[in-house]
Amino acid sequence: MSTVEHPERGGFALLSRMKPDRRLGLYALAAAIVVFVVGQLIQPGFASASGVKTVLVVASFVGLVAAGQTLVVLIGGIDLSVPWMMNSMAVLLTTAAEGSSLRAAWVVPVVLVAGALLGAVNGLGVAVLAVPAVVMTLGMNGVLQGLTLGLTGGFTCASCGSSAPPVLAGAVNGSVLGIPGQLIIVLLVAVVMTVLLSWTSFGRRIYATGTNPRASALAGVNVRALTIALYALSGLFAALAGILLTAYGGKATLGMGDPYLFQSIAAVVIGGVSILGGRGHYLGALAGSVTLTALISVLLAKDMPDYGRDMVYGVAVLGIALLYGRSERDEA
Amino acid sequence: MTQTQTRSPQQPRPAPAPASTLLGRLSAQNTGLVLAWLLGVAMLVLYLALFAARKSALPGNFELTSTVNNTVPLIFAALGQSFAVLTSGLDLSVGGVMDVSNSLAASQMGTSPGGILLWTVLILLFGAATGLVNGLLVAYGRLQPILVTLGTLAILQGLALKVLPQPGGTTPPALTKALADPDAPYGLILVALACLIWFVARRTSFGMWIYAVGNDRVAARARGVPVRRTLVLAYVTSGTFASAAGIMLAATTTGGDAASGDVFTLTSIAAVVIGGVSLFGGRGSGIGAVLGAFVLTLLINVLFFASVDPLYEPFYEGLFLVLAAAATTLAGYWLRRGQIGRGLR
Repeated sequence: MSTVEHPERGGFALLSRMKPDRRLGLYALAAAIVVFVVGQLIQPGFASASGVKTVLVVASFVGLVAAGQTLVVLIGGIDLSVPWMMNSMAVLLTTAAEGSSLRAAWVVPVVLVAGALLGAVNGLGVAVLAVPAVVMTLGMNGVLQGLTLGLTGGFTCASCGSSAPPVLAGAVNGSVLGIPGQLIIVLLVAVVMTVLLSWTSFGRRIYATGTNPRASALAGVNVRALTIALYALSGLFAALAGILLTAYGGKATLGMGDPYLFQSIAAVVIGGVSILGGRGHYLGALAGSVTLTALISVLLAKDMPDYGRDMVYGVAVLGIALLYGRSERDEA
Repeated sequence: MTQTQTRSPQQPRPAPAPASTLLGRLSAQNTGLVLAWLLGVAMLVLYLALFAARKSALPGNFELTSTVNNTVPLIFAALGQSFAVLTSGLDLSVGGVMDVSNSLAASQMGTSPGGILLWTVLILLFGAATGLVNGLLVAYGRLQPILVTLGTLAILQGLALKVLPQPGGTTPPALTKALADPDAPYGLILVALACLIWFVARRTSFGMWIYAVGNDRVAARARGVPVRRTLVLAYVTSGTFASAAGIMLAATTTGGDAASGDVFTLTSIAAVVIGGVSLFGGRGSGIGAVLGAFVLTLLINVLFFASVDPLYEPFYEGLFLVLAAAATTLAGYWLRRGQIGRGLR
């Protein structure tokens, strides 16, 4: 694909020598810094330590969902089941743990496994039944939404125990050495994802399959198993994000996952991950989530009405995609 | 098979079906459409049976007409969507276009016939313009359709909120009377019109180009198909149909809501898939999309008469969507026996 180095002019030699993945990740990081600087100019105090911390914590939820989204997008797939995967797992957590920290000890692993298994069902549909990823994950989203709404009766009532176990809330909202617990968890995820993508053969297989599934199958990659594993991981990360979001807000509410579909895809794109697969890195997607969240925060600080925010979202995604999300010139 | 929006020339094309019998060949080439017809008939029978069991009578003219009227917005949205999907693209902005059209219809039309006509034309032009933006970004911007239309979807949703901040407004009664009268079969005329548009469009060179582009863009280009123009036109068609669907939604609901079109992004894709149009492009028929829209509406009716809690509706819709898509694939492989081992990697 774009391993061909494009000769670039002047002081950009260093940038142009970089691998495209890394360069695009850097762009996303630079975009985040620009947004912070502009935010500080518009709203003094926006880029203060506490302001940045708030943005990072909010961005970390998008970043977690984007981890799973990155994995499936890297093989040319997409996970549209994210919103209700998060939501159903959050409701599963609160109803099973009943607000008790003791029960949380076994409920949290169970919820994570459930998320992974449901994600694996997505993978099975895509890899074995050859259902297009859009359809499979859309259907899964509906299934989970219907089950969650139906089983909870439409709202999480006070007596069903919709509040998060205190120990989780403590872990997420507490801090170690001034770093919020939530950020530490996301940093751990970032480290794991980087190791996985950059230094393991599993990671190499992901990129190979995303670039050319047929060639990598011929080279001995078990594409089906890989697909199932990646969708399972996407389900796992969505479940994790659901758990942490519940702990952060203290409650599981219906519809809590809805914003995360658009935001996770937008973060992945802003982070330079090619929607066609095979190109990009999680660190870029993580920077993309920060950029997106910072942008939203600036707009909120400016009292931008809802409609304006939606429109800025759209324009930002299109603008950034036009900057570096374009496919090669070979086809049309 | 991983989902890639474009097929690279190296990937093998599915082998043509064995031409042993005419019926075999027809069904192998139109597996999706055949399944859509079967599903449509099955849902209709199920609906009639449940209706008869509950009310000990067959649905009368009123029920049938309202069912058709309720399906019309989805039919138009899905038919438009099928143009984008056939080029191996996707139009997620359908819901956003419907939001804006619906809001405009409810807040601007007034009651004079001139105003209604003028705004109908303006709304259709707006839909076409949105499609033009989508198409230009896809064809000349070389962006992935899913990305482009996700972006324009957000912009359109914002725009709809700007036009109609609170749900409300009223659509002119004349519009409801003309498009969604429960006492007259105008809905059926609209369905017929949609099918007619498809039949005509399918037989123009544009209709042929869509299939060529969806099947193999590089080959289409080599054959002299204006690939970019076809892509732009496909999205313009999709946008125009979506705005028409928005007007019809306003007519059936008799009011405006800046978010009422949102669900149509997903239901239009669902209808297209159930109708047997391949999301990989180049296979399927707009008639399938129309059938898919009917199947989805009948499914809601069937769930209602089966006394299913409406909260569970998304569950059954989701399950149905996945099963229908899987059935299409499996039936395709079954009809092209001998390809089973090679078709599935």
